[in-house]
Amino acid sequence: MATVTFDQATRSYPKTDRPAVDALDLQIDDGEFLVLVGPSGCGKSTSLRMLAGLEEVDSGAIRIGGRDVTDSPPKDRDIAMVFQSYALYPHMTVEQNMGFALRLAGVAKSEIARRVAEAAAILDLQDYLDRRPRALSGGQRQRVAMGRAIVRSPQVFLMDEPLSNLDAKLRVQTRTQIAALQRRLGTTTVYVTHDQVEAMTMGDRVAVLKDGLLMQCDTPAALYERPANVFVAGFIGSPAMNVLTGEVVDGGVRLGTAVLPVPRDRLARASGGTGRVTVGFRPECLELVPPGEGVPVVVGVVEQLGSDAYLYGTVGDERSGAPLQTSDVVVRTEPRHAPEPGQTVWLRVREDALHVFDPVSQVRVD
Amino acid sequence: MTIASQSTREALVAVPVSPAPTAQRPPARRRRRLSQNRWGYAYVAPFFLVFGAFSLYPFVYTAWVSLHRTSLSDIDGGTWVGLENYRDLLQSEFFWNAARNTLTIGILATVPQLCMALGLAHLLNYKLRGRTFFRTLMLMPYATSIAAATLVFAQLFGRDYGLINTALEAVGLERIDWESGTWSSQFAIAVIVTWRWTGYNALIYLAAMQSIPGELYEAAEIDGASRWRQFLHVTVPSLRPTILFTIVVSTIGAVQLFGEPLLFAGNGTTSGGSSGQYQTLGLLMYQQGWSNFHIGQAATTAWAMFMIILLVVGLAAVIGRLRARADR
Amino acid sequence: MTTTLPGTGTTEVRPVDVPRGRARRGRGGRSGKAGPVTYTLLTLAALVSVFPLYWTVVAGSHTNAELAETPPPFLPSAGLFDNFAAALEQAPIGKAILNSVLVSGAITVGTVLFCTLAGFAFAKLQFRGRGVLLALVIGTMMVPTQLSVIPLFMMIAELQWVNQLQAVILPTLVSAFGVFFMRQYLISALPNELLEAGRMDGASTFRIFWSIVVPVARPAMAVLAMLTFLTAWNEFFWPLIALTTANPTVQVALAGLGSGYVPQQAVIMAGTLLGTLPVLIVFTILGKQIVGGIMQGAVKG
Ligand SMILES: Nc1ncnc2c1ncn2[C@@H]1O[C@H](COP(=O)(O)OP(=O)(O)OP(=O)(O)O)[C@@H](O)[C@H]1O
Ligand SMILES: [Mg+2]
Repeated sequence: MATVTFDQATRSYPKTDRPAVDALDLQIDDGEFLVLVGPSGCGKSTSLRMLAGLEEVDSGAIRIGGRDVTDSPPKDRDIAMVFQSYALYPHMTVEQNMGFALRLAGVAKSEIARRVAEAAAILDLQDYLDRRPRALSGGQRQRVAMGRAIVRSPQVFLMDEPLSNLDAKLRVQTRTQIAALQRRLGTTTVYVTHDQVEAMTMGDRVAVLKDGLLMQCDTPAALYERPANVFVAGFIGSPAMNVLTGEVVDGGVRLGTAVLPVPRDRLARASGGTGRVTVGFRPECLELVPPGEGVPVVVGVVEQLGSDAYLYGTVGDERSGAPLQTSDVVVRTEPRHAPEPGQTVWLRVREDALHVFDPVSQVRVD
Repeated sequence: MTIASQSTREALVAVPVSPAPTAQRPPARRRRRLSQNRWGYAYVAPFFLVFGAFSLYPFVYTAWVSLHRTSLSDIDGGTWVGLENYRDLLQSEFFWNAARNTLTIGILATVPQLCMALGLAHLLNYKLRGRTFFRTLMLMPYATSIAAATLVFAQLFGRDYGLINTALEAVGLERIDWESGTWSSQFAIAVIVTWRWTGYNALIYLAAMQSIPGELYEAAEIDGASRWRQFLHVTVPSLRPTILFTIVVSTIGAVQLFGEPLLFAGNGTTSGGSSGQYQTLGLLMYQQGWSNFHIGQAATTAWAMFMIILLVVGLAAVIGRLRARADR
Repeated sequence: MTTTLPGTGTTEVRPVDVPRGRARRGRGGRSGKAGPVTYTLLTLAALVSVFPLYWTVVAGSHTNAELAETPPPFLPSAGLFDNFAAALEQAPIGKAILNSVLVSGAITVGTVLFCTLAGFAFAKLQFRGRGVLLALVIGTMMVPTQLSVIPLFMMIAELQWVNQLQAVILPTLVSAFGVFFMRQYLISALPNELLEAGRMDGASTFRIFWSIVVPVARPAMAVLAMLTFLTAWNEFFWPLIALTTANPTVQVALAGLGSGYVPQQAVIMAGTLLGTLPVLIVFTILGKQIVGGIMQGAVKG
């Protein structure tokens, strides 16, 4: 097994003005399951392909198990990859697909057969070994792709959105299976997804990328509770965290006619003399309070989910009825006592759940 | 659950704040470029070796030859005459005769052929029993060689024993000496070309028709368009690039017309009929080089043919571009 | 703070098993049922397509005088076999067929191999000058044969290859159309990820070509092989220049047959039939595939 290091790794595609991956620094522990997540086009695949050796590294270095592999071809890196489209060889049977790499490496026939059988048993593919990929279901193909990776017992698994071609239900199932399999094999794994739920449920740690830059890399719980900046705060969690920017007043930030209390020291550091501050709070961290006590919100839409209800509203003024601020707010409430659309509710943010950000640099302030 | 199983690790945060750390980034090294695959050259090398030796080099050399007075017997020698061959060519009645014949045969062979092909494709596009059977039969002429087709049609158009004249006589018309008349011989040659290529072009159109999305027809149907209007307003516009393509290909073929006029007379002469009534540019070039042994002249004719093709292709490109712009 | 995982309920659904490679074909526009008129017209067209070939059989089995009768004979007779014999005697048809098989076979093998190699490189490999080279290939599709025969003839005269089969094989060994055809096919049929999977599995460049590209390209290679064989068999202009009736291909032999020294039409027709029979047989067996190949090529081109 091995550790993986991105050391200021940068990749700029020809004829583009901005690097697709910009000075990526990432240290992945031996046996760790690391998820790369971010919006489309943020450079997840590119990072993974740099690690795979399929994409050049323009500057910086990549190390696997302490060995500098920046200039090595893929086959010398001892890694296996699961592609989004699976990339199974259409003219080979499942067995041949899984054994191809071993055959190329000159492994004895009997040994190949043994290892393929072993992988097939793990993935429940024994009955399909003689089939061509064309005759398999999407889920089976996905497992063959996994099998092709595990027969090689590589130092690192790379997976680029391996579940995105499955239907929603199968995806949830397979995601648990992959995570369990990885823990069992203990192989260092780098997993790319654009789905933050996948990222949060599967990863030991999650690295959030945006525009080729690493925003934060931490455990799912830490990302959720202490997002390093406004982007991470908004990206992790669904519905997204409410992020509002308002004028600093004594002891808080003004939202509509109300003032949201913010500790003084954080207020001072976050505003940095601009007189404004950005605050964030998750939909589930709000409490309904009697009128006049908290922040007034005019309810627009109520979404009933059965277990919860979500209010989509606008921070507003009770007397004029017109919203003073255009920012929308999402609130989770008890489904049974949810207010009606058009009603004004008064909300208080639980103090421990308030995130404060510098409105200019967007960085978290504690 | 995964969240519980984490150990507390140092968060590696590279916060993307405005002062970019670009300044102290290590300088880009020169690397073996992974995506620049030098193997590409190895893969195209065999092709380009043969291609260069037998297509590209001759192509250029022909231009060189066309500037000389050379005959097949003194291959290496030949005298530099500059553009004289071209001047002679443009003043030669044989050239203009052949050019005229090529044009008329070309039109006679191309226009009805493509119209019929379009109609056939339309018919073949219906739900048919024996689809494959019809398609295969219509491609039979394409599989028949120029030589075979011409010999058969020379028989059919024969003055004394030809089936067509027998048929004409049977309905009370005069026998025609197809080969000796200007229009009749050109018509007969155009028939051979049309016979060989109509089915092929019909299949090309059919393929293009089948890639027109069905929704387009459904939309037209909902708009109340009749079948004929659907053909006119959906099929034909969608086929426009294909039609342009087949026009270009057929024209290139027509400019090079050679085997049919050579074998139509049935006596192996290269003059294209006793008075050159169906002499084409391709045949003229062969006559100059291999009957009269004036290689320089033949090369000049070949270049003239190429120029005509370039003109046609250029014209088609311009039309294609203009139409595309008009559509936007 | 609640322990609920954020947003476990939201899952974005993507289409299951997105078909890769070739784009979905349209339904073929109007797919109405054919009426009797359509069948009649198509049958007529089919008859016109086949009749000249049938007439070869009829005319090949009757004398000039019999053909001139009214009504003319419409059925073949046993005389056909005598005329076959006469044709084989008067023109080297047997040798020509053997030569044509050799020439067309060699050209087919060479063309398919070279065009697959080059088509793959143009479709999937990045190298300097790729665009220019491809433009060169496509551009020469417009160049008439006439433009190259003179230097080619000088070349083979120099090499003393006149009347030798390699003189017609070598210059035809590659085809610009073939490269373009293979390129178009591989661009859509061979996903980049498949090549990358090969690289990850440790395959060398050559191994990738042999074990991944060729199996994927096989259908297109088969189509190209059929079309190339047909074209090579029917090639007329250059063989006529490079060969003589002493060592001809079928087309050269037919040209000789039609050049006026055989007085009996029937013998000419019998010879024509003999020379066309091999392709007609191939066509009867593979007609469906050839039709499919041409239509596929049309959509790609
Ligand atoms: N071959 C290429 N040439 C030029 N630019 C590219 C190339 N491949 C990717 N890019 C650009 O690099 C950036 C990162 O691409 P990448 O494929 O890594 O995104 P991603 O995070 O995987 O996105 P997705 O979730 O959509 O797969 C994008 O802006 C993309 O447009
Ligand atoms: Mg991606």
